[in-house]
Amino acid sequence: MLWVDKYRPKTLDKVTVHDQVAQNLKKLVAEQDCPHLLFYGPSGSGKKTLVMALVKQMFGAGAEKVKMENKTWKIDTGSRTIEIELAMLSSAHHVEMNPSDAGFQDRYVVQEVIKEMAKNRPIDAKGKRAFKVLILNEVDKLSREAQHSLRRTMEKYSASCRLILCCNSSSKVTEAVRSRCLNVRVNAPSEEQIVQVLEFIGKKENLSLPFGFAARIAAQSNRNLRRAILFFETCKVQQYPFASNQVAPPLDWEQYVSEIAADVMKEQSPKRLYAVRQKFYELLVNCIPPETILKVEHKMRLGSKAIFHLEAFVAKFMSIYKEFLVSSFG
Amino acid sequence: MEADMDMPDLEELEWMESHGLPEEEEDEYAYFDDPEDERLTPAGGGVDQPRVPQQETTVAPAKPADEVSEGNLKRPPPPPPLEQQEEERSKRIHVDREDSGDEDWLRYSPPPVVEVVAEKTISRFASDIRGDCMPVTAPNGERVYAKVATDGLDGGGTGGARQRTRISKPNFDYKGLLSESFHSLTSRAEQEALAKALQESTDTQNFEGCPATPLVTEQLWVEKYSPNSFTELLSDEHTNREVLLWLKQWDSCVFGSHIRATSDDVLSSLRRHSSAIQKNSSNRHFFSKSKGGHVMSQDNMLQNAHGSNSEDLTSSFNKRSLTDNAPEQKVLLLCGPPGLGKTTLAHVAAKHCGYHVVEINASDDRSASSIEPKILDVIQMNSIMSDSKPKCLVIDEIDGSLGDGKGAVEVILKMINAEKNNSSNSSNNTDDTQVRKSSKKGHKIPKLMRPVICICNDLYAPALRQLRQVAKVHMFVQPTISRVVNRIKYICKKEGFKTSPIALSALAEYTECDIRSCLNTLQFLNKKREALNISGFDSQVIGRKDMSKSILDVWKQVLQKKRLKRIEKADSNCSRDKDIGSLFSLISNRGDYDVTMDGIHENFLKLSYHDPMLQKTVKCLDILGVSDSLMQYVYRTQQMSLHAYQPPIAITISQLVAQVEKPNIEWPKALQRCRAMLLEKKDKLKTWQNQMSPLISRHLSVESFVEDIASPFLHIISPSSLRPVALNLLSEREKDELVQLVDTMVSYSITYRNTKLESQERINGSMLPPDVPSLTLDPSINDIINFKGYQSEHIGLSLAMKQVLVHEVEKQKIIKDSAGKLLNQVNEGGKRNDVSTSDKTSALVSTKGISKSNPTLKTQLNVASSMSGKDLAPAKKRSNHGMNFFDRFRKERPVDAKTHNDAGQQAATILRDSRPLIFKYNEGFTNAVKRPVKHASRNDDDGMT
Repeated sequence: MLWVDKYRPKTLDKVTVHDQVAQNLKKLVAEQDCPHLLFYGPSGSGKKTLVMALVKQMFGAGAEKVKMENKTWKIDTGSRTIEIELAMLSSAHHVEMNPSDAGFQDRYVVQEVIKEMAKNRPIDAKGKRAFKVLILNEVDKLSREAQHSLRRTMEKYSASCRLILCCNSSSKVTEAVRSRCLNVRVNAPSEEQIVQVLEFIGKKENLSLPFGFAARIAAQSNRNLRRAILFFETCKVQQYPFASNQVAPPLDWEQYVSEIAADVMKEQSPKRLYAVRQKFYELLVNCIPPETILKVEHKMRLGSKAIFHLEAFVAKFMSIYKEFLVSSFG
Repeated sequence: MEADMDMPDLEELEWMESHGLPEEEEDEYAYFDDPEDERLTPAGGGVDQPRVPQQETTVAPAKPADEVSEGNLKRPPPPPPLEQQEEERSKRIHVDREDSGDEDWLRYSPPPVVEVVAEKTISRFASDIRGDCMPVTAPNGERVYAKVATDGLDGGGTGGARQRTRISKPNFDYKGLLSESFHSLTSRAEQEALAKALQESTDTQNFEGCPATPLVTEQLWVEKYSPNSFTELLSDEHTNREVLLWLKQWDSCVFGSHIRATSDDVLSSLRRHSSAIQKNSSNRHFFSKSKGGHVMSQDNMLQNAHGSNSEDLTSSFNKRSLTDNAPEQKVLLLCGPPGLGKTTLAHVAAKHCGYHVVEINASDDRSASSIEPKILDVIQMNSIMSDSKPKCLVIDEIDGSLGDGKGAVEVILKMINAEKNNSSNSSNNTDDTQVRKSSKKGHKIPKLMRPVICICNDLYAPALRQLRQVAKVHMFVQPTISRVVNRIKYICKKEGFKTSPIALSALAEYTECDIRSCLNTLQFLNKKREALNISGFDSQVIGRKDMSKSILDVWKQVLQKKRLKRIEKADSNCSRDKDIGSLFSLISNRGDYDVTMDGIHENFLKLSYHDPMLQKTVKCLDILGVSDSLMQYVYRTQQMSLHAYQPPIAITISQLVAQVEKPNIEWPKALQRCRAMLLEKKDKLKTWQNQMSPLISRHLSVESFVEDIASPFLHIISPSSLRPVALNLLSEREKDELVQLVDTMVSYSITYRNTKLESQERINGSMLPPDVPSLTLDPSINDIINFKGYQSEHIGLSLAMKQVLVHEVEKQKIIKDSAGKLLNQVNEGGKRNDVSTSDKTSALVSTKGISKSNPTLKTQLNVASSMSGKDLAPAKKRSNHGMNFFDRFRKERPVDAKTHNDAGQQAATILRDSRPLIFKYNEGFTNAVKRPVKHASRNDDDGMT
């Protein structure tokens, strides 16, 4: 088991990074009345961990007995029946799923599947909670229609069901949904926090960390806790008594992106742009989302052919850079 | 017309000459006339002219015209003949010729007259004329008075009688009024009929034919001037010949060998020609399918230019072809854009080869059931009349509609297939009649014994897929503009429609050499009495064909600049406008903006446009981005009208980067491929995720895995410190690492799998020689970081190490399964609920290895496995002593098994544990040496390592 999983806090009490958030959540649970929740924050900040700990806080260990189901739902849309296969994790008290897996048919998932589950009250009579929890991941990837269908469900069945939504960016969740939820922002952990976590793990694993090692990894991780712990473990595997200047091997895709950048700097021409295009394709093929490659490109999010926009960016850069070169060096 | 009139005239004149000259008296006697009569008997007219009075004034030349116009004008009798009649005679003949040569002599053009007549019959003054006279006005307003002929002169009464007498005049020998003229009339009629027949025969035999008379204006020009003969065809010479050759190949089958003995020569000459062309073009494999002998003969012919021995070869080929009958491909499929003359070619060629054309087109009922008998009729039967020609089936517009066209295609395919099956039987059916007999008798599915020509516009219509394979396909190419223009010019001249060649060529270009459209346009303009002017094409009536081109053409048009001609360069603005217009319609007609843009994106960077600062490129990509956003917006909001803004985007790019050179267009595969592979990889990762324990997989997403986990994970599962040595040689720490590694691999459900080395890897020179199976990760998550042209830093484990890991992982899985079961039982026992499943499993797995560092796990294990501290202590002790890796698990199993056993068994176990180890457990999974080992010796081992 990777350290990421091994040292994942299981309860709200053990949460170290977002302890404030955890305490607030705990209070919520204690007050017996939990609203719909929307967790948002960058990846690797600990949303899912918090959610799991929260669920455990609510239902106790029963929530940990989960089983994986790959269920096929048949949905009658009037004109035809659609079959949607959806994987979900469920325990007696909660269901986790990723509705955006259904792609463009996510609307039906929300309208039928979620409604169906939200309708039914939990059978567990002796349980102290009168509701069950639906955890929806990657809500920001839901289509607009799906999100619209979601909001009515949230109100109508709130008596028997609480929704916990997880997403990276709340801006992609419609206002209507956001206003129905208690928004919980899960920040990316600061580097100090990451250092703390790494030192905690090091202590548990009986490792001696040279001074500044944890900080270096934290800096390399770009405030992504998951990445930091993985880097840490990688370093450990590669060379145990840590060298004082040891760094984790870089992420391959980042490496590749920097190669592209080097290419762009070397030559600015349509031909080079064409070569860069092929490299972009390589990245995209390997599931690297275009948003990750290029963070700020609004048009790309509006369109569907990311390669156009990536290339446009590179071309623009090439043009400006070349102009700069020409003006400064003749 | 001139010819028509001319021929009989001359002949008649000659005939007259041969019969001797008419006597003067009779000549004179015949003198009064009527224009119609003169026309009917031009010879008479010729004789007639000199009778105009000599005393006439200078106006005289106009006068005969007047006479002509007034049909019932009575003329004074001509004066008595003068001397030197012979000379006069020859003159007259000469004049006559000139007259008849003049087209307009009927229309008042004055005949050159030899003035002989003394008496005044016509004068400007009425007083000049003796006797009765009447005024006649010439077209130019000149007024003259003509003498009214008296009865006494010619004895003729009214017009009819006079005419008849006058007709009889030239045939002077004959006494009766009508006897002679009747002869001449009939003979002339006969001659005319003969001429006509001759002409017709030449038409059908494909010699220069005359177009229909231009006077019939109601007919469409397209039909009126449709080529009647092979040589008139506008379509490409090569195509024409090939079609003809194909048809000729049927000759021996259809007509029988004896009928067309010469056709073989024709064939070979045709073949020589087309094969020569073929050598050059080499895009048609016309002969590749034909039999060997055939090819050989052809080759030889090509080689020996003099062709001394080619005759033998061709003759041998002939013999063979006689028995083999029909050509290899029974169906000819002509395809090409509309208006190039496919149908015309089919008809003309078939007619040329002596077939009766039967056409089935889209207007007919073409369902399979109704078309089958029709085709059978055509193909099998000859009409009863013996002289009728064999039929040739032309199926027009076969691609028209899928449902209908298919019927015909199916029927034909059925026949062709039947043919193939029965080909052995058919070999001896050389004669037409025999064939028919046999088909009547035997086969249920009739054979195709007549040429079938199918015509379509779109070769790649789905309905034609099968037909395409068996048919001989001919693509029609556009005829050259000059050819089209020549033809149109000819027609225009015939129709008296004034055009300029420049306008015509522009028109041809505009309609893309669609001659049908050209002619229709011209006829329309002619009717409107408008002239064809180039500038007005867009605004004028000329309809632009709303045809969509193939997407490749669209890309080509966008990325290729038209070479400007010098004239156009002068007003480049104008031509630019036109270009934009045509591009716009081209793109919007195509409509498939998504693919269009993809293609432009794929190809535009490969153009060699001048762009030092990349500004053009930036603009292009920006605008492509706009197009993409627009597209997405349209899809989301369904506002299809916004699509109208797509073509300008393409046009902008075209203006920016289009080059004169021919672009090398490629289909935009990359984007599609990217999408497909992305899905595939995502799918793979998802499946993998589903295999993991939910407690781990719930925290994973594809994105987070790819972005954060993949690279470190690969490092982690291939630690460089692990040595592929015997397990008992590993140090304590190494063992810990191994245990952890195996645990990680199991919990992430990763293992190594036997795979054959792929060829690429072999080229890369990986550490293994070929043919040795290597172990790769399963699922192959290392693919995720395998970017092309990128050397990752990951060092794979050695093969030996991998093998070890495979074993360990397998074992661990089994242990875990059983442990999981066990723990569930424990949990159900309700001993302790707050111990998480994962904790337990991990506790079980790593009990010994990391027991020291994980005290909580230890305690949990204590509780969970209902074992006494006694049990655990020896285990711990043993691990401290550096137990073999296997031993730990061997140990564990009994421990697990015991959890629900009673105390007696526990005691037995403790007893057994105190003894030296026995390798009994899991025999199938160990590759260790099986022998009893003492503790002491094992410690020694450790010391050595």
